[in-house]
Formats: sequence, C-alpha cells, structure tokens
Amino acid sequence: MLHPFVGTRARLGLYLGTWLVLGVLLAAIPWLTWGLTIAGALCLMVPLGLLFGVIGLSALWVCRSAPLDRTPALRLASSALGASLQASAVWSAAATLWGVVLTRNNVIDASRQEILLGVGALFVLGVPLYMGSMVVHYLWLTFEASRQAEKRVLQTEVTAREAEVRALRAQLNPHFLFNSLNSINALVGSDPEGARRMCESLGTFLRRTLSFGARETITLGEELALVDQYFAIERVRFGARLNVERYVEAGAEACLVPPLLLQPLVENAIKHGIADRLDGGTIRLAAVVMEDRLRVSVENDVDEDAVGRPGEGVGLENVRRRLDALSARETRLDTARESGRFRVTLALPARRAAGEVHA
Amino acid sequence: MPETSPIKVVLVDDEAPARNLLGEYLSAYPDVQVVGECANGFEAVKAIGEIRPDLVFLDVQMPKLTGFEVLELLDPGPAVVFCTAYDEYALKAFEVHAVDYLLKPFGRERLAEALVRVRARLRESVPAQPMGPAAARLSEAARPAGRWLERVLIRDGVQVNIIPVERLDYLEAQDDYVAIHSEGRTWLKTQPLADLAQGLDPARFVRIHRSYVLNVERLAKLELYSKDSRLAILKGGQQLPVSRAGYTRLKELM
Repeated sequence: MLHPFVGTRARLGLYLGTWLVLGVLLAAIPWLTWGLTIAGALCLMVPLGLLFGVIGLSALWVCRSAPLDRTPALRLASSALGASLQASAVWSAAATLWGVVLTRNNVIDASRQEILLGVGALFVLGVPLYMGSMVVHYLWLTFEASRQAEKRVLQTEVTAREAEVRALRAQLNPHFLFNSLNSINALVGSDPEGARRMCESLGTFLRRTLSFGARETITLGEELALVDQYFAIERVRFGARLNVERYVEAGAEACLVPPLLLQPLVENAIKHGIADRLDGGTIRLAAVVMEDRLRVSVENDVDEDAVGRPGEGVGLENVRRRLDALSARETRLDTARESGRFRVTLALPARRAAGEVHA
Repeated sequence: MPETSPIKVVLVDDEAPARNLLGEYLSAYPDVQVVGECANGFEAVKAIGEIRPDLVFLDVQMPKLTGFEVLELLDPGPAVVFCTAYDEYALKAFEVHAVDYLLKPFGRERLAEALVRVRARLRESVPAQPMGPAAARLSEAARPAGRWLERVLIRDGVQVNIIPVERLDYLEAQDDYVAIHSEGRTWLKTQPLADLAQGLDPARFVRIHRSYVLNVERLAKLELYSKDSRLAILKGGQQLPVSRAGYTRLKELM
C-alpha cells in the first residue's frame, strides 16, 4: 500500500522537498556547534534529513493502530513514545554509520567521541521530530475521516433523492397510458358515453398523480382514492377478470403516507394477478392501525407455474428504497407467497395530520 | 389469390375493448371477414390450427403465452400483424416475418396501411417462411439477459403443453425435430436441437453427445463403454451415449 503523502509524484516531490529543507536547517547544528565546514555539515545532515522523512512515514501505521478517539490517553502516550524512541534509535544508528563513513572519507573531520556526542544529540532530537510527524498524521487522519463522513452523508442523500425520482417517474407507466388510450379509442365506436367517462377518469387520475407527487405526504385515504381511480380505468380493459376487495379500518384512512407508495404495488398486482392469468383474479387491499403502526397490504393471485419470481421487480424495489429513505428503522416491507397468493405488507409509523401519534 | 375470396381473420388479444376496436375497424372492409376472436394464447393456437385463417392480429403481452410463443407453436401460413402498446418488440416482430406492427392506440388509417401490406403479402406466390423455428429463436432472444429458458412449449395437435425445464429428462435430435423426454413421456418439437439447447441453463443441461442434451440432475452414473465413449445411466434407467467431448463437458460441470 502506498502512503497517501507520497501517493502521487507531486506529493512525493513536496514531501521530500520539505525534508530537504529541514535537512539543510539541521545542518546548522553541527556547523554552529561542532565547527564543521558548511559543506561537511550539509553532506552529513541532508541525507539524514531525507532518511528521517522516510522513517517518519511509518507514523501513519502507528496512528492508524491507535485511533485518537478510541485509544486511552495513557496507551496513546506510551505508543507515541515507544514508536518515537524506536524511530529515533534507527535514525541515530544510521547517523553513526554515516558519520563514520564521512570521517573515513575525510569529508568531515570528527573524532569518535564527537560523533558519539552528535549522535546522542540526534537521538534526543529524533523523538520530538517523530512525534511531530505523528501529529501531522493524526491531523491528516482526522481530516480524512471527516471528509469520508461528509461523503457518506451526501451519498445517502443522493440515493434517497434518486429513489424518489425513480419512484415518481415510474408512476406514469407509459404502457398504462397507451392501453387506456386504446380502450378509449375502442369505446368511442361502441359506447361513446363510456369513452367520455374513461377520459374523465384518466384525466382525474393523471391530475391527482401529478399533484400528489409534488407533496411530502398525503393521507392513506387520498392514496386509496387514487388507487380506486386506477382500478376503474383498468376495469375497462380487463372487465370481469379484475376483482377488488378492500378492508380499510376507520382509523387508517387519516394516516399520513408518502404519496404514490401503493401505486407500484397495485400495478404489480394487476400485472401478475390479473393480466398474466387467463381468468384474472382478486386483488385484496387491507389497511389497519395496530400499536401506533400502520400496516397496509396488497395481495393478488399468482400462478403456481408463473415464469419469473414475484418480489424481485423494479416496482417493489422502489417502494423498499422509498421506505428506507423515510426511515430504515421505523418501516418494514415484507413479501409472502402462500397458497397461490402473493402479498406485500408495508408497516410504518401511524402519523396523523397534526403530527401526533395515534393509537 | 382471387379477389373474390374474403380474407379470413382471427383476432387475438386478452382485452375485449382491443378486440372490439379491431372488429369495428375491419367491418368497413367487405372482403375481410373476422372468423375468430381469442382472449389468450391457448385459444389462439387452437383456433388458428382449426380455422387456418389468412391473417392473425396478435397481441404480444397475454396471460400464459406471449404472442411470440403463440407464433412459435403455429404452422407456417397466416400473415401476422402484431398489435401492442409496447414498441420494444418491433424489431423482433419483423424478424419473425410479421407483416406489420401496430402500436396501440392506432387509427383507421394506420390499419389501412397494414391491410395494404397484408394484401401484398397474401398475393405473393412464394409460400410464407416457416416461422416456427425463427419465432422460437426470438422468443428465446426475448428472454431477459442472464436468464435461461424456464419452460419449453410443445404443440400436440391443437393442445399446447408447457413443460418447465426442471421436468425435462433429456433432449434427443431426430432429423428436423427434437424429441423431448420428460417424466416418461416423449414429445416432438420442430426445432433443431442446437437452437433449443442454446436457451437452456448450461449449469443444468449438458450436450453429452452430438444428438443428446442431458439434464444433469437425472444422471445416476457413468459407465465406460469403449475406449473413447461412455454410457450415461439415468435415474429412470435410460442409457444415453456420451462422446469424448461430451464427457469433458460433463466433467467440467461436476
């Protein structure tokens, strides 16, 4: 794994440049205190500065293994001290070798004692230097963590919005419109009054769909009225094949729900429970309030040998996403397939217009 | 064909208003006679087999059998005009030699255009292309990507049989037919073995021989038969030859 400080060529240049400058500054110490020539001090300290730069990178892993927010202060201090002493020891050892090499090659003029003294000084200097590196790493990790968190929040928001848009777009199923127009076309010849009624139903349905879609919430009663309108239109196409049974508890209709939440479920019920079956079937809608929870279910007949598996469609997925966007903790969507019927049940907090929870 | 004999038409649509509309439009043509109306694919296969119409108006989305599956089960003959609210099947419709593709809702003028094409097709002396196998290929092509054939359609006279693929034992090539062996019965389908095999899930069906495709769940054991070939013994006791290439494919799977 590449260290993020040196992950790109530009960052590597910047990082090494910084240590080059620090190396030059460090050269001031032997130049001023031990009387080395400027050239000798630079030859000694600049490579050692760069070496410390490389050693300092290891602080990333030290910092990662002891996160600021989850490590007790004492352990934090001991790990920082331990790592700094180790890093400094490695650095001083390298400095000793380098000092000896430079002395043998007559680049600098220093006795063994002077070298040992200098190395001792470097060892003491290395500890705070490494700790400085750790501070920089901790700052960077904190910054990175907050950036990630921000990104996650944005991501969640985008997902929720996308689900919303997809759900609303899916409402205006073009094939529903085409088929309805075709039904009107047919009625014009045989039943002009029926054609007029159908135009009106379709117009009302579309107008309500658009106005509901723009609202934050609607009452379940409004949603069910829209569903009724939808059934009335589809009944022209399917005739006796489409049967609907409703059980809606008195308290349920006033509950607030996200608009057009049931629509995809009802469309699925028509498709699998009516359109795909030779003799159609019965769609059952039920809504009850139990212990502050609103439970709504849509149920349809399904062929035992039906191709395709209900419960994995786009419509259901959209409803699930919208409920998650509302509150993943407070809502549920369950599907069940038993004895020739498929049922989707939604559960969400029962809220009324004023916002109070109703038992 | 002589101008005097009427064009016999069958209407296939699961929605009554859609059939009524076509009936009403067509009543304006004295030489067009609606001889049958069907509300689903089964009725359609039966009626078209019995009546042998010149022209079929066919919906695509219907219960149990889609329009393409109906076509797959028909003998070649009638001119076909698809009527649907879905435009995504248009290309496929022409590949199975449909005469026209009417998008709902459509008016009298659009139907008139279709009838011009129908008359031109009916006047052609060349017999219509056999559409069964082509339609079979296309109803397979209509499968959503990544999904395999879930059922095989077979016509037995006017009776339509739908066999879920898990009930298949093995398929056997017989000239232009496939013999489909399922739970002790054998059905014949006019389709090359390779075409049918292509639609089957390769994780469940293996071509063990040039002429045989096996449902691996039915395999009981393999026996060495000669140096290069083996015998597959099925759970039902049947014995099928396994070629060397077939054995390699079978081994890869198991």
